[in-house]
Amino acid sequence: MKDPRDIIRRPVITEKSTELMEDRKYVFEVDVRANKVEVKKAIEEIFGVKVEKVNTMRVPGKQKRYGRYTGRTPERKKAIVKLAEDSKPIELFEV
Amino acid sequence: MKASWEKTEKNRGVLTVETDEQTVAKALDQAFKKVVKKVNVPGFRKGKVPRAIFERYYGVESLYQDALDILLPEAYEAAVKETGIEPVDRPEIDIEQLEKGKSLIFKATVTVKPEVTLGEYKGLEVPEKDFSVSAEDVDAELKKMQKQQGQLESVEDGAVQQGDRVIIDFEGFTDGKPFEGGKAEKYTLEVGSGTFIPGFEDQLIGMTPGQEKDVEVTFPEEYHAEELAGKPAVFKVKLHEIKRLNLPELDDEFAQDVSEFDTLDELKADIEKKLQEKANKEKESYVRNQLVEMAADNAEVDIPEVMVDHEVEHMLRQFEQQLAYQGLNLDLYAQFTGQDVDALKDQFKADAEKKVRANLVLEAIAKAENVEVTEEEIEQEIKQMAEQMNREPGEVRRLLEAQGALESVKEQLLVKKTIDLLVLSSKNAA
Repeated sequence: MKDPRDIIRRPVITEKSTELMEDRKYVFEVDVRANKVEVKKAIEEIFGVKVEKVNTMRVPGKQKRYGRYTGRTPERKKAIVKLAEDSKPIELFEV
Repeated sequence: MKASWEKTEKNRGVLTVETDEQTVAKALDQAFKKVVKKVNVPGFRKGKVPRAIFERYYGVESLYQDALDILLPEAYEAAVKETGIEPVDRPEIDIEQLEKGKSLIFKATVTVKPEVTLGEYKGLEVPEKDFSVSAEDVDAELKKMQKQQGQLESVEDGAVQQGDRVIIDFEGFTDGKPFEGGKAEKYTLEVGSGTFIPGFEDQLIGMTPGQEKDVEVTFPEEYHAEELAGKPAVFKVKLHEIKRLNLPELDDEFAQDVSEFDTLDELKADIEKKLQEKANKEKESYVRNQLVEMAADNAEVDIPEVMVDHEVEHMLRQFEQQLAYQGLNLDLYAQFTGQDVDALKDQFKADAEKKVRANLVLEAIAKAENVEVTEEEIEQEIKQMAEQMNREPGEVRRLLEAQGALESVKEQLLVKKTIDLLVLSSKNAA
């Protein structure tokens, strides 16, 4: 698992996450096995920015039923990446 | 904003307008605010989608239409004002450029009011027309009153005369066979009224009550029922009763009955006075109409088709309203008269053109002569209207303002004043 693009799966774009961007915080869904250090390195490499700190959280999968079969949706890991003050912003959507 | 006007044809031209960038940006913002309430983007509640994400999701282009709806009317109106043209039709609009961060450029092709080259409009002379009241007119009026006062009386013994009302049974036959609608009993008919087929009523003259007679007539060629048109027919007629209008004597007593006057001479004088007043009014409007028409004929105007079309539409609507009073509508009317709406429009067309022409010419004259309506004159007019409606002038004014009708009152006054001017300067003034 060396490729940074394997660690960072996708940005989380929601009302809350767009609000967080004002504080230089960006939310991503990352590989469940990745740790904060790996996420920090991956983000810095992909976007060419400087990361101040990373907060992560695990989002457990939900119990789902289809008829008599029960299953789970996959577990996810979210990372809130705060950029350093002197870093350039991440352009998630080219405007 | 930049606007330029370029004439392409006589009454048409192209208006090129360029707005500045901020206006476009503002319109896009407004459009976005409107649209955002309706779009659904996962992760966001309705109306909470940030602009950047919206544009990513749907593209800026999706805002253009709404932005145009906001931009165009404003920009067009401003451009019209700036260039001082007077459009008479909706513009055809071509968008040349509309992009985020750039200005809006559009071309509007529009028909404008034609230029009027005035001909002679002062010192016109309307050919004299006789509007004087003659003794016969007064007599005719008296006769009418007399007839209204008259009473129907049965005539016991005597024969039918012209003007009598008769009650008859009749049954009509063609080729010895009765036909539909040819039979009636106890029918009241005024002899000489022309209600029946020509010849029928004349042949009743001289009949006495109780008498039976065969009346032979021929249906006219243009009779509405086709199978009867032009055919000879025999009507078996039985006369029941003759009723004759008993006219009161024309004397002072009659005058007292129908009016507040004591003598017939006074009544006559009054009738003459009223007729004279009516005639004067007719004369005035005749002169005014003629003058306007003459001035319009003398002027040179190239009337755009759309103006005539608009007027035709307007007339059609008015006509429809009239029909509505009679409980009809256009479709029914078309059925009755066998005309379709297009034929009707053709009929209106000549009048409409005349009207448009007259209006344009009057407007031009008003401009040339600096005719203006003052505030006091409007006040005066409103006062008059208020009196007619039994309301307070202030109230009427508010009402007019609310309906936006004040402007049209002003226009009417202007037209009136302009015609006044025509009348004053005409040779008929004296």
